[in-house]
Amino acid sequence: MHESALIRFGSEIRHFYVVTVANIVFAALVMAFGISVLVGEAVSMYETFSTAQYVIYSPVVLFVALVAVLTGLRWILTSFGVFEGVEAIKDDLDGMGGEVPDEALTRLIVSMLAHYRDNRATIRTMILVCTLGGVCSFLLGIAVGLEHFSVSADGISFTINNYLVIPMLLTLGVALVSLASSYYFLGFARVWDERLDEIEVSEALLKETLELDRR
Amino acid sequence: MSGRRTAFEIYWEILVFCRTPQSFTGIINRCDLNSKTGQEYLRFLVEKEYLVEVAEGDRIRYLATERAGEYTALFGSLYRKLFDASPRFKL
Repeated sequence: MHESALIRFGSEIRHFYVVTVANIVFAALVMAFGISVLVGEAVSMYETFSTAQYVIYSPVVLFVALVAVLTGLRWILTSFGVFEGVEAIKDDLDGMGGEVPDEALTRLIVSMLAHYRDNRATIRTMILVCTLGGVCSFLLGIAVGLEHFSVSADGISFTINNYLVIPMLLTLGVALVSLASSYYFLGFARVWDERLDEIEVSEALLKETLELDRR
Repeated sequence: MSGRRTAFEIYWEILVFCRTPQSFTGIINRCDLNSKTGQEYLRFLVEKEYLVEVAEGDRIRYLATERAGEYTALFGSLYRKLFDASPRFKL
């Protein structure tokens, strides 16, 4: 039983670690995107006021970029809390090599459960944010590359700007990573919630052992 | 070990740590407890005869009894059993 439990635990921790890293990368990309737009808008603002000719910056774009930077930053900080705990558990597991005594495995499981309890709400938020971020990135990716789009009785016609194919693919890639993160976070959250429920049931037995087993 | 743990998880941590005699300070540091809650947990385990107080000179140390082995074994098997089944989503 120990071997299979160890393999499953190790596999889950490593996958969870990868998903958390992907989530941080995605958050960093959102922030980088926001910063690049902010810089572009700042240049436009400078030109607008220095030449005093036309207003060529958009306050709406500026606002959206600012929101993206702040959301990305907040998201990185939040994800980092989850990442740190999982990394510590993964490092402990890796540090033991192939030989993990029963007691050490139990300790790692308890650590992971405690970490999950601490970050349950954060992980729920991550699921929502990743889904929303993924959908937004997908729509943005389509919008970026689309030059012309029309729906008529004859059918749908569209043209794609060849120069924007690479940014479009990158944005779609980000969307894919984000939606995959959301899927995995949801899967992990369900499994760990079930485990917490199982522990509640087991607690009755532990309580009995601690309090009623007097000989 | 830190984070949000149940009382049973803390009992297990204390009992495993006290397989060799341990001081009060050592226990609360290892199990990330404050003195007040640490005292409550130790008092409970001593009352239930899972821990005994051992005097070493003028210092008191805590040592797990044989009965503690039953609890730690049951706890370990229940927690490792959580990983009997694979998650229902593809990793």
